[in-house]
Amino acid sequence: PADIRDAAQARARSPPAPITDVARLCVCDLLVAQCDVNCCCDPDCSAEDFSLFTSCSVPVVTGDSQLCSQKAAVYSLDVEANPPERIFKLIDQVNPSIFCIHATNYKQALYLKSPEIPTPENFDQLLDKFGGATFSAEPDSWNLGTDAQNPPDANETSRYEYGLPVLTEDAFLRLPSPVVSSWCSDANPAGFLVNQATKCIRSVSVEKCDSIQALSMLFYINSSILAVPKSSEMVNITVQSIVVQSLNGMRTLLSSSDVLRLPMVLDGLCINAVLGVNYHITHTDTGEIIEAAAAFVLGAISKEALSIEQSFEISFTQENTQPVPLSGNPGYVVGLPVRAGFQPPGYPFPAAFLSNRHSQLTILHSTSTQDCLAAQGARATVLFGYNMISGCKLRITAAMKCQPLAQTLLDVLKGQSFPEYVASFGNSQAQDVLDWVPITQLLISEQMIPHTLQSSCQIPVSLAIEVKWTKYGSLVNPQARIVNVTATITTTTLKQLPSGRERIIPITSSVVFTDISSPAEPSYKAWPTIDIKLPFDFFYPFV
Amino acid sequence: SSQLSSLPLQILLYVNGIYYIFYFLATLAMIIYKSQVFSYPDDLLAPDLAVLFLMAILEVPRSYLGFKGNLTEAEAPLGLSLGLTVGSVVLCVYLLLWQTYVLWADVLLNALLLSAYGLESGLKVTAIAAFVS
Repeated sequence: PADIRDAAQARARSPPAPITDVARLCVCDLLVAQCDVNCCCDPDCSAEDFSLFTSCSVPVVTGDSQLCSQKAAVYSLDVEANPPERIFKLIDQVNPSIFCIHATNYKQALYLKSPEIPTPENFDQLLDKFGGATFSAEPDSWNLGTDAQNPPDANETSRYEYGLPVLTEDAFLRLPSPVVSSWCSDANPAGFLVNQATKCIRSVSVEKCDSIQALSMLFYINSSILAVPKSSEMVNITVQSIVVQSLNGMRTLLSSSDVLRLPMVLDGLCINAVLGVNYHITHTDTGEIIEAAAAFVLGAISKEALSIEQSFEISFTQENTQPVPLSGNPGYVVGLPVRAGFQPPGYPFPAAFLSNRHSQLTILHSTSTQDCLAAQGARATVLFGYNMISGCKLRITAAMKCQPLAQTLLDVLKGQSFPEYVASFGNSQAQDVLDWVPITQLLISEQMIPHTLQSSCQIPVSLAIEVKWTKYGSLVNPQARIVNVTATITTTTLKQLPSGRERIIPITSSVVFTDISSPAEPSYKAWPTIDIKLPFDFFYPFV
Repeated sequence: SSQLSSLPLQILLYVNGIYYIFYFLATLAMIIYKSQVFSYPDDLLAPDLAVLFLMAILEVPRSYLGFKGNLTEAEAPLGLSLGLTVGSVVLCVYLLLWQTYVLWADVLLNALLLSAYGLESGLKVTAIAAFVS
């Protein structure tokens, strides 16, 4: 009944009293109501069990050995007797050291602290103290620690740091992203200097077009960003550009981007709905945001659409710099694009190389039609460390002229702007001229006609880029460095075809990365030499 | 003899002064050792250190007054010194019995100091009696 239950609960709340009598303490007594083997202090063992033991696993049980005099229970086996029997002695162990504890007035010194049993009254307080990932061993210094953290350090939070959420006047700059499922969650803050691109799905309906906040441009630009956290300086988000996407996917850039276009229902469509936002934040090198701009993609939602996909991107640029993505720091990272550039006019003393996102080393990208002349312009970026081969098929008819065909094929193989220089390191700056490696271009003719002039025209059929790289730097952290880039174009003779016939020639382009690093030799410092010179009159007056 | 100053008391005062310096340094070192080796919370360490330093502060006037009283054969400084000795005895008993950790070395040092104080008090009383009469 109720009183027995209460008594049982009361017993459960308080932990069992600790045993301090050494005669009753037994560490090896693990099995309940059963005799543990070789455990001489086990009360469940009988004399017959003791006679089968070989040794005592626990020979002595004492309290704290720092005490001057304490009780000790000594267990041993008398193997001389037949049958062997256990000997139990209770002795006074004396600590001979002069620094033994004679007495103590602090009861908890000698015993482990009993933990507090949680009750409904002290549960909240225990959760505050121990609920976190870490807690201090000293209960007193715990309180001192939290007091010290409360006054904010003015130097630390007066600028943004990497990863901190970008704060706005009411909360933080939102970058909607999928959290658990693909649905957009507006609670994802944009981290400072964290370039992110997210795509998520939002449920919409044409009737509620103007009431859904996330479809309107205002939602993304109305709150201004704080220039530094904990300050009152605001940076307004300006509209950089508006691109309108029609229902069939065609995008048009609007000429005037200062007019705010809000979603409204027109002809059964919801127009001016936000399909994508691209934030560009400019910051100083001390962690202060000075400019913020947003580029919008607006689109139309038809009546049947129940959800749309929104894409968001944010990128950070330091003021007065041209953002060039690094491909490694300093050595190239496998998988990042090989940086390339052009020599600017001003030879032979170039000031700096022209290198931007549009001048990359690219090779032909194979398409599904495999027709070289049909899909021109599909290029794949050369990524460091990835050997690539691609190609297409060229259909030659009798009517084709050689010279324009050769030029077209050269464009197909090399692309529109084939670079002249390749960056030696992943972080080579455009102004360091010595860090750039020139691309050596070779022309090989497939069919060597030794004695006659090669009057028949040659068409290029393959481009092979060989990138030689080496390991540079320390043994434990070698950095990849491009040493040599050779682009070899192989040409073949175009034989005139009889009219009506056609031929198919395969065109290939490939990139190969070769590691030419010499085996590393660790070098050690020379042993220090002992350089003792006696003064010249050391042996005076004998010498 | 016309000299009333007690020679045994003078010797004892001198020896006691030297012994007290050793006692203070040894007890301080042992408190530092105890605070590192054992669990010694700050709210128990503070009273022990306070008692030790209070005893050191009391010892200086106590010793000076004892010397002065005995040499000038005046009973007033000697009586004052006796009063301060009572205070020192109380503090010494605290360090002997009610310290947080009483090591065996603590027991020895404090017992020696207590017996020195006791002998000193007895000699001071006889000296006062000699000066008064």
